[in-house]
Amino acid sequence: MAATPPRSLTELFLGFLSIGARSFGGVLPWAHRVMVEERRWLEPADFAETIGLCQFLPGPNVGNASIVLGKRWFGAKGALVAFLGLIALPFFWVLALGILYTDYVDAPFVKAVVTGVGAAGAGLFIGTAIKLGRTLVRNPTALALVVACFLAVAIARVSLIYVLPVGLALALLAARKQWL
Amino acid sequence: MAVILLEIALYFGLLSLLAFGGMPAVMPEMQRIVVEVKGWTGPVEFVQLFAVAQAAPGPNVLIASLIGYRAAGFPGAIVALAAVCAPAAFISYWVADVWDRFKDSPWRRAIQKAIAPIVVALVLSGGYVIATPSGTPDWRLWLIAAISATAILTTRLNPLWMIGVGAAMGAILLS
Repeated sequence: MAATPPRSLTELFLGFLSIGARSFGGVLPWAHRVMVEERRWLEPADFAETIGLCQFLPGPNVGNASIVLGKRWFGAKGALVAFLGLIALPFFWVLALGILYTDYVDAPFVKAVVTGVGAAGAGLFIGTAIKLGRTLVRNPTALALVVACFLAVAIARVSLIYVLPVGLALALLAARKQWL
Repeated sequence: MAVILLEIALYFGLLSLLAFGGMPAVMPEMQRIVVEVKGWTGPVEFVQLFAVAQAAPGPNVLIASLIGYRAAGFPGAIVALAAVCAPAAFISYWVADVWDRFKDSPWRRAIQKAIAPIVVALVLSGGYVIATPSGTPDWRLWLIAAISATAILTTRLNPLWMIGVGAAMGAILLS
């Protein structure tokens, strides 16, 4: 069966609402499940291409994907509806958790648990970076860029306002010279 | 109040434009602005708010609304979320089609190759900064981070399991 885009704004909204509502632990797998498997709005290859594109744009990846897909199907209205659907329930969830946390923050046990969760989240970032970088760092230029950028941002705490333009310019130069 | 809201809008709007590679890549800069420049939260509280956002469903931009809430209540939460999403959303809205049209351009391939190592370094920095809130390493936090990093690299488990293990280890090691 070929993929068919959502037929109405309501369907679009409900689809993204169900992505947002269920996306514990990460949005991307749920975006795939809802749009490709359950509702069949997109072919798998189409989904992968859209996400790949959004990863090269600044901002939250799936948030950007909701804008791009909403626009493709229903124009500006679709972009807004898809984005609001995605963010609505998680926004209230996170605020409720935040308020709850504020009430119990003085309990040392709560603080310990929440700090442990933070460290685990940090580990997820580190694991993701390793996954993304594994093949990359076999290239010495790429490895040098990763190390230099990490030292500047994480250790020296230089602002991204400086690191990003300088790093990108150097990397672009290297890419044009076929060093990457 | 209005001044704080304006500052939230400006700083989070800036973060949105810098967030190549998504929110993880911009966490070091967010921590720098929120903790070191503006003092909206302390270093430990920043990590805790990050953790709360991790434990909830949804895109991880929601940490912005938690920080906005701490700095300026409910209006702060709305302004921070809008500011961190809107600039990136506008770029996606206008650039996606153009970018798609240049699929085979050598410049597009050069840009993609150039961005990749920068994104890797920034996401790695995001993890390092969050696992090292005070700037000096704490082996207990690094152990928890190492376990969840290993798990996501070697298994196909939902990350929520790693979050759960982190919570349990936090309860044992940190209380």
